[in-house]
Amino acid sequence: MPFREINSKMVEASVEPGRKMYSQRGAMLAYRGDVSFTPDIRGGQGGLASMIGRRVANEATPLMTVEGSGTVMFGHGGHHIQVIDLAGDTLYVEADRLLAFDGTLRQGTMFMGSQGGVMGMVRGQVTGQGLFTTTLGGHGSVAVMAHGGVVELPIAPGRPVHVDPQAYVAHHGDVTNKLSTALGWRDMVGRGSGEAFQLELSGNGAVYVQASEEKL
Amino acid sequence: MFRLQGSKTLAVDLTGDAVKAKNGSMVAYDGRMAFKKMSGGGEGLRGMVTRRLTGEQMEVMEVKGQGTCYFADRASEINLVSLHGDTLYVEASNLLATDAGLRTGTSFTGLRGGASGNGLFTTTVEGTGQAAIMSDGTAVVLRVSPQYPLNVDPGAYIAHQGRLQQHFQSGVNFRTFMGEGSGESFQIRFEGDGLVYVQPSERNTVGGDV
Repeated sequence: MPFREINSKMVEASVEPGRKMYSQRGAMLAYRGDVSFTPDIRGGQGGLASMIGRRVANEATPLMTVEGSGTVMFGHGGHHIQVIDLAGDTLYVEADRLLAFDGTLRQGTMFMGSQGGVMGMVRGQVTGQGLFTTTLGGHGSVAVMAHGGVVELPIAPGRPVHVDPQAYVAHHGDVTNKLSTALGWRDMVGRGSGEAFQLELSGNGAVYVQASEEKL
Repeated sequence: MFRLQGSKTLAVDLTGDAVKAKNGSMVAYDGRMAFKKMSGGGEGLRGMVTRRLTGEQMEVMEVKGQGTCYFADRASEINLVSLHGDTLYVEASNLLATDAGLRTGTSFTGLRGGASGNGLFTTTVEGTGQAAIMSDGTAVVLRVSPQYPLNVDPGAYIAHQGRLQQHFQSGVNFRTFMGEGSGESFQIRFEGDGLVYVQPSERNTVGGDV
């Protein structure tokens, strides 16, 4: 458990030799001990191919590696921070919401079209996620930013959860998501309830929802 | 059944009944829900015209279904208010959700509204049930009794309920005209018996500048 929540908007992480950590560039607030921060041109793990992949996918948030021994405090823009522990499953999150994560986690990029084909791509556009999203897999912790507090909603088989695309933050587990539309004639004449598009998540896992409909 | 999930998210358990909520404020739900916009605040044609004229427009949707629905709006703090036949006076912009059984309307607030940056009219919610109101920061609930009247900064006022009379007070003196005002020249004075909801933040008001 490398992350410790100081308050709702700051986390403290401990770094040890041989244990790297990645964080969004410029998100360090303070540190103790002998810690070095190196900008990571590649934007995370993997070789050149991963870097190009991320650039193409527009999921290349400037990251830095944090190494050494000591404790580092992270925070960014006064956003609320949620620490998510992963135990072997995969977290799907937008790259710009990532504040910091363990170096032990595998970072990847997922094409939205790979889940649901064309509808998946449409979903990415509607939710503002774009065509790609970032995945983190393995064992470790992630600190994710959100506007307002975050609510964790469990997803169980037979009990799908519908989420407003603007309030969606991240999800993990064995979850399939699809865009469900509730477009009626009322939406066509501009009398919609403002809830025409929803993200339907079903399967087994959890989804994180922020208490706001604003993007970061 | 309204409950708070954290301080900024409202969870409503529905079993086939309905709630009225601010348009577009749903963040997530499980189960089955239907969303329908209620034109002009859902009070019929007369209510709609009144709201247009008074500037208290509300974009309201009716949520009906089975399951749990979560509401939130721009990370505002949410306060639950229980009504037992009394009336809640709240600004339309601070009202997040009400039980479908509650009636909403508009009322004239007089001079106070102009100074509190709210306009001259306010929204009333009456009946028996629950309502959720939003505030910028955690709101405090202050009790007013006949012995203890209360003065509130118009910019920090969000809602009140009960049998209260309100007066508009001004402490304008020659210092104010010299540009040496304390910024607290206008207050609302509540007298009677009831509750006043105050937020730890002040809207921009005419009164706050002098």
